[in-house]
Amino acid sequence: MAAIRIENVTKKFGNFVAVDNVTLIVEDQEFMVLLGPSGCGKTTLLRAVAGLGMADSGRICIGDRDVTYLPPRKRGISMVFQSYAIFPHMNVYDNIAFGLKMNKFDKAEIDRRVREAAELLHIETMLDRYPSKLSGGQRQRVAVARAIAMKSQVLLMDEPLSNLDALLRLEMRAELKRLLAEIKATTIYVTHDQIEALSMGDRIAVMREGKILQCDHPTVVYDRPATDFVGGFIGNPPMNFLDAQVQRRDGAVEVAIGDFKLRPHPLMEPLLRGYDGKPIVIGIRAENMEALAAPADDALKVRVLVVEPLGAQNLLTVKIGANIVKVSTHPSFEVAPDQELWLRFPADKIRWVDRESGRVLYPELN
Amino acid sequence: MKKRLNLTPYWLILPSVIYLALFFAWPMVQALTLSIWDGDARLQLRAEATLRSPVSDWLPRGAPIEVVERRGNTVDPDDLGQSNLRTEVWFYIRGESADGRTVEGWAPEARVRVRETDAAGAPTLGTIRPRIGGSDPLTTVYAEPSVVSDVVGRIESNAVVAIERQTILELWYLVRGERDGAAIEGWAPSRYVQVFGDNVRGRIDRGDAGELTLRYLRSMINDRFFWPALWTTLLLMAIIIPVQFVLAIIMALIIQQQLRGNTFFLYVFAIALGVSELAVGIVWYAIFTQNGYLNSILVSLGWLAAPIPYLTADTRHWIIVAIWLAEIWRATALVMVIVVAGLQAISHEILEAADLFGANLWKRVRYVILPMLKPSLQVALILRTILALQVFAVVIALSGGDVVTVLANEAYRQYYTLRNVNVAAAYAALILLLSMFSAAVYLRMVRSHEEMQE
Repeated sequence: MAAIRIENVTKKFGNFVAVDNVTLIVEDQEFMVLLGPSGCGKTTLLRAVAGLGMADSGRICIGDRDVTYLPPRKRGISMVFQSYAIFPHMNVYDNIAFGLKMNKFDKAEIDRRVREAAELLHIETMLDRYPSKLSGGQRQRVAVARAIAMKSQVLLMDEPLSNLDALLRLEMRAELKRLLAEIKATTIYVTHDQIEALSMGDRIAVMREGKILQCDHPTVVYDRPATDFVGGFIGNPPMNFLDAQVQRRDGAVEVAIGDFKLRPHPLMEPLLRGYDGKPIVIGIRAENMEALAAPADDALKVRVLVVEPLGAQNLLTVKIGANIVKVSTHPSFEVAPDQELWLRFPADKIRWVDRESGRVLYPELN
Repeated sequence: MKKRLNLTPYWLILPSVIYLALFFAWPMVQALTLSIWDGDARLQLRAEATLRSPVSDWLPRGAPIEVVERRGNTVDPDDLGQSNLRTEVWFYIRGESADGRTVEGWAPEARVRVRETDAAGAPTLGTIRPRIGGSDPLTTVYAEPSVVSDVVGRIESNAVVAIERQTILELWYLVRGERDGAAIEGWAPSRYVQVFGDNVRGRIDRGDAGELTLRYLRSMINDRFFWPALWTTLLLMAIIIPVQFVLAIIMALIIQQQLRGNTFFLYVFAIALGVSELAVGIVWYAIFTQNGYLNSILVSLGWLAAPIPYLTADTRHWIIVAIWLAEIWRATALVMVIVVAGLQAISHEILEAADLFGANLWKRVRYVILPMLKPSLQVALILRTILALQVFAVVIALSGGDVVTVLANEAYRQYYTLRNVNVAAAYAALILLLSMFSAAVYLRMVRSHEEMQE
């Protein structure tokens, strides 16, 4: 059992608060992704867990051990660094064996584990090569092999794929996911790449300015973002945001986008009543809008600015009021720039964002 | 398209190549040549009494000779001051010959008595000296200032002649000597030959051509200071360098920790770098001398009844200890600076990875830091060894250069005190050889693996 409990951890650099009172529990054998833009504190949090930068306050437990003030080597963790940090003066074998040697495993066991790890990463043929003779992808594999050879219960990864080219990254992503499922370590994986986070994580913790905004399963984070930032950060294209106005008509709540009137989902009505006469922001994903070639009562007329055929979909850029909105349509839907079309907003796909706080409103939470 | 050689880099390095050749290689070769090249060992003998004549043979310096014949030859006026150089003067005269013609030509000064000189002292008028007891009373006038040139005419004794100009000639000797049992004869300029009082016998004073010799090396090795100097130099190297490296690495690791007051440490460590070698020697002399700081402190603390004289001929070991301390104090910072630079080149993540994978500080130093510092250590080691071979001023300051002596001090003594340039050059060559040898050994021993070439 090696759950990781991060409790009220704060880390400052001078006056800058890099990690701000963060609490996060990573379950045993869970794959947790820390996602956020650069400078959001995700790496700092990971380093605090690794012991490479002591937390200023708070507590970090691995399993049932409080490791807050232990040096890295006593925490029972292994790690893959962003720059790989493999030792240039050792060949691949010695690199992978380094941790085992330091921890005084016997020779046969070291050899067995090194070969096992090398095999898992398909580098068993380059054990006697030196890092300078390896490609970026191969160095990456050595770094991962070195980490998994330790068979630690906790594996930390700091943007391990960010130095690889796009194609290699795609390949390694799937491979890492398979590997990590196999070795069953509790993993914290730091990345700024939302696709990596969505595709690999059991859960994603989205961070911004030292705080965790939302921590949930990838589908939930994608579909039901906690704030407009999460919605805008995750997904490609990011979630669209439209300025709207809440009104009341005949006792029912209505939302106006310009002249167009939208009926919210019945579950949302009680919540939106509080916003009567106030502006609100509508968040909706590109693929959740329905594009119609002909006018309809419940559809908003828009003019297409740009059409981007992406193969699996066509990405349209339209302008609604002052907002630029991306709409994804099926490739068979024929459309040209400057053409008019009608957009339908399915009520259950609309996310309502409080303009001031940026929080997304969900009925069950209130 | 034909691949063209890109000459630009060669043009760019050309100035440095010229610089190296002019200010480094050439003087160095010249200096080192002194130690194995005896520049005036041979006197070249010629078939005729002129430098244009081919060299026929040679005699070693000091060989006894016999002068068979003499002859004058033109000489560069700048060379006239040389020792042993014998000259004769010839006048260009005009007068009436015995057969009534007016003749013009050269006659040796010995045949003309100068009667009048001009304001500058140059002779203008003279009379032919009478020949006494000779079979031929007439004086011969030559076309050239040489007795082997054409005869222009003959003039009677006491005839008045106008002296147009004069020339000074160097005397050449036809010498006969012996080399390796074989008799040798040939012409040589008088400047190289010392002729004894009987004007016949003499010896080769110096040569005009060199030969390879082991003389200077032999006299270096046979010098009574040679072995002590060599052993002391090697001993100092052996006890200074390892200690310096251990200290320097520890200092560098302290600085690497980025503690508060980091730069302060760096400055304190580096202070000694700014002090001249001789000043360091004097500082440590002040500490170790009989009434120096060390004795004062020990006596005032009551640990010593009376001051100990450390720096005496009977306490060589104390002098060595003082030199050892002074050198460590002075030059450790140099190694430290190189090691600090090397440490900073090691990525932070590498050290973190080592820590994370279970290496404590000692193991990180042993398995990661030291191996990755190899190139820096190599540079520092070569530099330090070369400097240790040159250790000089500290030794002079602490021992006066007699009780404890080192190779550089012997080179200095030979050059300055004993005025023996060649043996001094031999010492210098030995130091160079040891430096190059140790550098080669380090380059092999601490060879950076192929993995270090990123």
